[in-house]
Amino acid sequence: MSQIEEKDILEIMGEDLQRALKKPRNQRRWAMAIDLKRCIGCHACTTGCMSENLTPPQIHYRPVKEEEIGEFPNTGMRFLPRPCMQCDSPSCVQVCPVTATWKRDDGLVTIDYKKCIGCRYCLVACPYGARSSDVGHYYTGDMHKETYEVENSGEYGKTFRRKSHWHSPVGNARKCHFCIHRVEKGELTRCTTTCLGHATYFGDINDPQALITKLISKTNVIKYKEELGTKPQVYYIV
Amino acid sequence: MQIYGVLLPEKNRLKEWFSSFRQGKAGIFVYLAILGLILGGAGIASIFILGHGHTTNTSSLVPWGLQISTYVYFALVSGGCIFTNFIGNMFFHEKYQPLASRVIFMGLITAIAGFAALASELGHVERMYLFMVSPNPSSPMFWMSVWYTADITILLIEYINIQRHHHSKGMLYASFIIPVITYCSLGSLFGAVGTVPYYYSSLLPIYFIFSGFLSGNALCAIIAAWQIRSTGNSRLLKPFQRMQRIALASVLVLTFCRLIIGVSSGISGYEVFRETLLKNLLLGIGVSLVIPFLILMYKRSVGGLVISSLIVLAAQFMARLDLVVEGFRVPTFRVYDMPERISYMPSIFEILVVIASLSIVALVYLIAEKTGLFEIATKESR
Repeated sequence: MSQIEEKDILEIMGEDLQRALKKPRNQRRWAMAIDLKRCIGCHACTTGCMSENLTPPQIHYRPVKEEEIGEFPNTGMRFLPRPCMQCDSPSCVQVCPVTATWKRDDGLVTIDYKKCIGCRYCLVACPYGARSSDVGHYYTGDMHKETYEVENSGEYGKTFRRKSHWHSPVGNARKCHFCIHRVEKGELTRCTTTCLGHATYFGDINDPQALITKLISKTNVIKYKEELGTKPQVYYIV
Repeated sequence: MQIYGVLLPEKNRLKEWFSSFRQGKAGIFVYLAILGLILGGAGIASIFILGHGHTTNTSSLVPWGLQISTYVYFALVSGGCIFTNFIGNMFFHEKYQPLASRVIFMGLITAIAGFAALASELGHVERMYLFMVSPNPSSPMFWMSVWYTADITILLIEYINIQRHHHSKGMLYASFIIPVITYCSLGSLFGAVGTVPYYYSSLLPIYFIFSGFLSGNALCAIIAAWQIRSTGNSRLLKPFQRMQRIALASVLVLTFCRLIIGVSSGISGYEVFRETLLKNLLLGIGVSLVIPFLILMYKRSVGGLVISSLIVLAAQFMARLDLVVEGFRVPTFRVYDMPERISYMPSIFEILVVIASLSIVALVYLIAEKTGLFEIATKESR
């Protein structure tokens, strides 16, 4: 695909997004599709996500699994990016004892950082390992903290101070939220925009005209661990 | 309701105890328990002040560690005390009766000590009121909290009843059925997690009840042995030997079943059972269950009961840690520099939480025993 066509994909998804935002929230259905043949394993999505969400050490909302396949001389690399699957039947929501995590009507599984008690049951229950526990680590250790490490978090369109006990993600479960703070401002998710191979597609699957809807209607689409009945909303194009 | 002389020891006995405590005559175990409580309290305070990231070795890969296993251990000991109380009352009524208030009291304080360990694990313990304000009925953890509260309440009522000599069959049954449901729901908290094959089992709630019975009974057996030594009431020995043997045999069968299912299953995640098979056979079954059983069989004295019970208590503690932690041995989504198998070693702060919980149980029980709290129940009934 030429560079112009690549640019068009982002523009098309941008237009799809604008169209979706004009609808009431309960008529949208956010989903993601990842073309595994186009993923080059550059980890730009991972680093983009980390800088967007200011995630502390050991917390990756979108890691990329690397696997060697085949035997010499017929070997190759396979990459599997793993955002939160935003399941339609999420086990994390089911097990949370205080309803600090729930499924929004636009399909997003969200966490209320002011409500989470930090029991980590959702981490245990998630079959994708998509949730992490923020125990308050810093990249630069304890003595000196860089500005980016203590900056306010803007996740879920709210402001969470890292160094506050009451309104901080520290002590809570954290996960990918499809950059909803960007999406609701009309911007695509950070992983979508930083993807060098343009392997990540994002949009409203309730919109029949959206690029993602057309992509996931094809036969070469699978869902990760679908057999568990969690109804994941991340589609892998193989 | 009269507090002193029923719920708490009589005032003058308490004063006497305090004066002997100040003079350094309260007994070495009391001072050790206080030291443990100070150290443990400092450990728990450090966890909250410095944060979990700087004090505990749990992480996103091993979300639950020693604190949770300590909670499970004490919760099951508490449930086991109730099981022992019920069976004792049903089958060994007269022989068992002098110990009833002690056993129920132990059930209460172990439940509270377990809760202390659990609270130190939570990222935001101050938000626990949300269990009431914003409950999620689909969560096994929510139901565990409901039944745990009911359990402590019913134990408290049963304890007051015993202390006031208001014995009722209804209350005895209630104080058995509610804890059984409580510890079943604790078992289902783990057993219902389909994503962790090491936990996932319909057998787990039953396993929890019986291993709780085993550990609770072992603790009660030590109390019984202490009573035999101090009062010379050797009638207490046989009921506890018999109950311990039944508990050991039940847990042995259930542990075998769990192991066989785990080893024979080919589902991903079950390889933990195969990798830990030798350890489970040697330590989990051999040392923890077979040796205490043999000791009970061939050394039918108070000493044999105590040795067997001490082995059971220590082994069951390790079994709870193993149950909680081994579930995370195989990472759910292995990425970057993550090892193929996750290992976990508790930090000193986590060990201090265990010391705090143990010290709470030891100190409260010793004070109650030395101030004659349990004599109130036995005095008038004689």
